[in-house]
Amino acid sequence: MSEIISRESLRTMAQDWLQQGGRVFGPVRMESDLVLYSPVSDPQQLLLDGWIRPANSIKLAVLPRHEKLYEYRLKGREVELTPVDLPTAPQLVLGARPCDAGALPILDHVFNWDYRDEPYNARRQATTVVTIACQGHDNHCFCTSLGLGPDASTGSDAMLVDLGDGTYEVRLFSEKGQRLFAGKTQTSQATGQVPSGPENILDLDAIHRFLSGGFESSRWTSIALRCLGCASCAYHCPTCHCFDMVDTGGLYGGAKVRNWDACQFGIFTMHASGHNPRSTQAQRQRQRIYHKFHIYKEKFNHWLCTGCGNCTRNCPVSLGIRPVLESIQKDFQ
Amino acid sequence: MLEALRQRCRKLLEDKTVQLIIGYGQTAAHDPAFPLFITQPDEVAQLVWNEQCFCNLTKYLLKPEIRALGKPAIILKGCDERALQVLQQESQINRAEIYVLGMVCQGVGRPRAPKCESCDVPVPRWADEVIGTPHAPREDQVERGPQSDLSRSERSTLAPRYAALETFLKKSPEERLAYWKHELSRCIKCYACRAVCPMCYCNRCIVDKNRPIAIDTSPTLKGNFAWHISRAFHLAGRCVGCDECTRACPAGINLRLLNLALAQVGEEEFQFRPGMEPSAQAIIGAYSLTDKEDFIR
Repeated sequence: MSEIISRESLRTMAQDWLQQGGRVFGPVRMESDLVLYSPVSDPQQLLLDGWIRPANSIKLAVLPRHEKLYEYRLKGREVELTPVDLPTAPQLVLGARPCDAGALPILDHVFNWDYRDEPYNARRQATTVVTIACQGHDNHCFCTSLGLGPDASTGSDAMLVDLGDGTYEVRLFSEKGQRLFAGKTQTSQATGQVPSGPENILDLDAIHRFLSGGFESSRWTSIALRCLGCASCAYHCPTCHCFDMVDTGGLYGGAKVRNWDACQFGIFTMHASGHNPRSTQAQRQRQRIYHKFHIYKEKFNHWLCTGCGNCTRNCPVSLGIRPVLESIQKDFQ
Repeated sequence: MLEALRQRCRKLLEDKTVQLIIGYGQTAAHDPAFPLFITQPDEVAQLVWNEQCFCNLTKYLLKPEIRALGKPAIILKGCDERALQVLQQESQINRAEIYVLGMVCQGVGRPRAPKCESCDVPVPRWADEVIGTPHAPREDQVERGPQSDLSRSERSTLAPRYAALETFLKKSPEERLAYWKHELSRCIKCYACRAVCPMCYCNRCIVDKNRPIAIDTSPTLKGNFAWHISRAFHLAGRCVGCDECTRACPAGINLRLLNLALAQVGEEEFQFRPGMEPSAQAIIGAYSLTDKEDFIR
């Protein structure tokens, strides 16, 4: 026995959400070969199947790439600061993958650690995440190495499993999920089938042990040789969360905003003095791997990765977490 | 062709003509090939050559970490070689210190990348050696040279490489602005376009000048227009049309259209195509005492 819902009912649900002033995010086809999570204004834009995973991640719903923190105005010698309202509008993410949803509980730690990040938490609380279980994977996926899988429930309020006839089995994991689907499903005999995920190829504990003593390893230079230092990996990663805060505006006022930032840029760690503690790409690649598989693990007991493979898919030179970890693993085995 | 390439690379390393091969490797047959750096003769079996070899490897000739590995042999397609030519003209490389293995190219991608449809450089022209057998160019690929005495519409029929731009320019200015707003609203400023571009080699890019900020760093429509227009200006008369920026863009923005616009103006107004003719003076970066503008003297 299961509860099921039709694709059309899902669109109606999204429409209701929009009409009540909420925001809806989901997969949208941007180009013939490009699907991105995006805010949608019309539920017909939602593309609920036909892709392995969108090229970006749902983190944009909780940590937008650009966000105003407060406004300021200069009046003579006075500075007037105006707070920005917290983003509390209800948000529905419809059509996430388990490797996207799984990132949210990981991110919660860093945004509630020494400082409680108000905009992040406001959005997070206002967001209901509905995932669609994977019906396939490509050779960049490695979620099973991170303890996730095609129907992993971590971070999801509800999950849809495609029944192949225009309907989905609905699995509920939280009160938010129950509220969202209350009265909208039918009972059915059908239950969804989910294929097995990608082969578990990484021994992360062994990689962690290598990292514990591998900071000065010469391998970082050879690993980073082909990295060109863009932020495609970080900006499409569900778990990367670094940002830069800058003033924008004119002579008499403006706003403090935060924008995504990434550790692969040389300027990321540039000091005002001109000194750069991470002056080479090898040091920057090393930092990325350490943050995800050593620092975050030590601090919050989570890997900062869900194995989605977006870093490699989006990399202009096909680098990313999996090739780097495989290369490390191959050498110490 | 691949076997010939591997054998040549092995020989170049064995007889110490070069210390490094900059070529292509690949994980699985349908994945894009990636840049591969080989220093040992026994590693040449990792080299591949096929229609997935998109990357313009000339970018790596500028990386200090690559330069530290010694004299390189680099595997280049005819289109990539244009970038090498511009880098040489701009004094960024010492050509004598680079061994160029030119590959006869049938085009990359399936379906073929747009740049390949009007390719007129399938055979590298200044390589130290060329691997592969040159094939007859298609009729519409034959270089016809500048036709500056013809009207714009007549010219466009002679230059299939600008077909996509001509189609785009048939739209009204309002439609074109709407198009760019729609496209650039997706830009997240990952700067993959800059990272892959062989012509983007500034020690400090203008968007990284933050004391004070020169270009709005926010990935907003305003900031994104500022970035892409600045980048286009910096590439005017320099972009060789390798389309790496367009391939690298994770937001699927067709930067190729901007580059085509730069290229068309260069060709029509100055009879100049970057990286096509070693003796031709660059549009930007060369000046003359007889220039009609007196501010330049």
